[in-house]
Amino acid sequence: MLRLFDFFAHAKSESVWMAHFCTGCCSLEMAAAMGPRYDWERYGYLPTPTPRQADVLIITGLVTKKILPALLRTYAQMPEPKYVLALGACAFDGGPYNDSLAVIKNPTEILPADAFVAGCPPRPEAIVAGLEEIKKKMKSGEPSAASQGGLWKEMEF
Amino acid sequence: MQDLRKALSAHEILSVEVYKTMWLKVRIDSHDLLAVAQTLKDEGFIAISTVSPTDFLEEDRMEMNYFFENYTTKRNCWLKCDIPRDIEACEIDSITPMFPGANWHEREAYSMFGVRFRGHPDLRPIIVSQDFYDKTPFRKDFDWDAHEANTVENIQQIVDAFKEEQEINEEHLDASSSEMILNWGPTHPASGPIRLKVHCDGEDIISIDPDIGFVWRALEHLVTKKDFVGAIVAVERLCFMDNINSMVGYCQAVEEIADVEITEFAKWMRVLLGEVSRISSHAMGMGGFYNAMGLHTVGMWNMDIREYFLDFLESYSGARIATAAIEPGGVRYGLQMNMLDELQKALDKFDATKDDIKTIFVNNPTMKVRAAKKGIITAKEVESFALCGVVARSSGVKIDVRIDEPYAAYAQVKMDYVVQKEGSAKDRLSTLFGELEQSIDIIKQAKRHIEAEIENGNFNPTKDHMVKVPKKLPKGEAISRVEWSRGEVLMHLVTDDKAKSPYRLKMKAPSFNHTMMLNKMLQGETLSDIPLIFGSLYICQGDLDR
Repeated sequence: MLRLFDFFAHAKSESVWMAHFCTGCCSLEMAAAMGPRYDWERYGYLPTPTPRQADVLIITGLVTKKILPALLRTYAQMPEPKYVLALGACAFDGGPYNDSLAVIKNPTEILPADAFVAGCPPRPEAIVAGLEEIKKKMKSGEPSAASQGGLWKEMEF
Repeated sequence: MQDLRKALSAHEILSVEVYKTMWLKVRIDSHDLLAVAQTLKDEGFIAISTVSPTDFLEEDRMEMNYFFENYTTKRNCWLKCDIPRDIEACEIDSITPMFPGANWHEREAYSMFGVRFRGHPDLRPIIVSQDFYDKTPFRKDFDWDAHEANTVENIQQIVDAFKEEQEINEEHLDASSSEMILNWGPTHPASGPIRLKVHCDGEDIISIDPDIGFVWRALEHLVTKKDFVGAIVAVERLCFMDNINSMVGYCQAVEEIADVEITEFAKWMRVLLGEVSRISSHAMGMGGFYNAMGLHTVGMWNMDIREYFLDFLESYSGARIATAAIEPGGVRYGLQMNMLDELQKALDKFDATKDDIKTIFVNNPTMKVRAAKKGIITAKEVESFALCGVVARSSGVKIDVRIDEPYAAYAQVKMDYVVQKEGSAKDRLSTLFGELEQSIDIIKQAKRHIEAEIENGNFNPTKDHMVKVPKKLPKGEAISRVEWSRGEVLMHLVTDDKAKSPYRLKMKAPSFNHTMMLNKMLQGETLSDIPLIFGSLYICQGDLDR
């Protein structure tokens, strides 16, 4: 029985679909990762237009106040198990927009991420490497960071 | 220019001067605005580039700047007038009834500076989120920290406003009919971070109200916190698809105030890098157009070509996209000759693929049937809504800042306007591809020129790239225009005495005007046309919201 369970985790982790939702400029490098040179579909990644079929939500860089409710709503619409990948400096601490006060500087305190990818914007290889981290987590059946905490649980959106 | 001076002399003019040969800088009293604007309109200055207030806290005045453009004679007029700074009295006549292109620009000035426009048909806040309503975030005395202290409440306010909006929609719509309001975006795969409130009856669109500001980073405020070199980080993030040309625009304004002339080599490098950046943007733009129609192949092909050009940028600056390669005083790095080999590879790649792209996608019969009659913009609309770039040229309007007001080394480049006739979605795709080819041609010219001059010993590629620009700038103001990949970007830079950072930087970006057209273009069309027309307008949310 245990073995069958492992099989599902393995199958899930080898076809990771992400919600097609862009909040910032890192989505440009995400597009490059989808492109022919880096071609992330080799690893089973695919953007899906609806969050209802997605396994991973990518915070593509900056998150403004205005888009945060939409981001959280998208996350809430995803089926379990669901994971979050944070791209770029903005998703970590505001990055180059740290001085700008229209931007949320700690989006991952609100929606905790399972993996971070450094860079502004991160290179496509780095994005794929970040997704591989998520893959590992999925394989081991570890619960996602956002399911264990984060301000999003207390927020209304 | 003489004609305009003569026509304006009928009014009470406080001062008038010729600025940079193409511009007439006129200062008037704010009460005369409508009369002067009427005269300008009669003289053919139909397009209004932007409306930009500058807040002078110490002098207790708000200075309004209007940038009018004449698309026929290519002469421009910069109108200035003062209005009281006090929030109660901060009022001026709206020119929107006369110049429909000023609509959103006046709304932006209202949201950011609290300037009220008398007679504006639809003066609602734009760009800013609900927590900034009735506040004035770009005024010098606005307390950002106090506002920031309540982040949780602010977000709650945004959520409440959204829910309230949905409730109001429920109440106002006729439940027995098929009328409804759909939110197209921000999670729609073709939309990017923008929300179109689509009021439709079944499939037919009645009206569209774009809700923008989802990536509002307050860049114009952010630059005032950085020094003149540090500000390029904010300026290049206007939109990452084409970041070089926006930096060129900003750096030109700084150099003008500092009174610095950059070297000939740096000018040519700006042309070269700018065109590489334009190609990487246009390649994505073409992909975006076809993606919106449901075909991803061209996006993939173009993405492949684009990678080669990014390789060149990477070999030059170390970064694929966030290059920060242009700096006040020239270009940031010297040129090693092996970098040009990377560029040659990219050019070869494009030449090898372009015929296929042209045959299969640009002249695609299915696409022509679908897009030839959709999203038509007439030449007249282009002028009255001050559209620019690819969109304007697709309607047959011959404007291009690179030719009209040559900057960098464009005066020595051989090029012509890439135009189409009808201004339909299909024409915009053709223009995009035409400009891709044109950019390749310009790069070849620039590369040849740089190589020849290095050979002759006229250029020293490792030393000539920078001249020194002082860290502190004198009091002054400058405007600079560049042809960005999506159209004209106008930078209005104001500095204080012994300034270390910009006092005010207004960035006028083309997507703002183009998005304004959506309602007009989509009325009477069906829901399935939204992605097509939106995709053909080549909008980037980065420069839409800034």
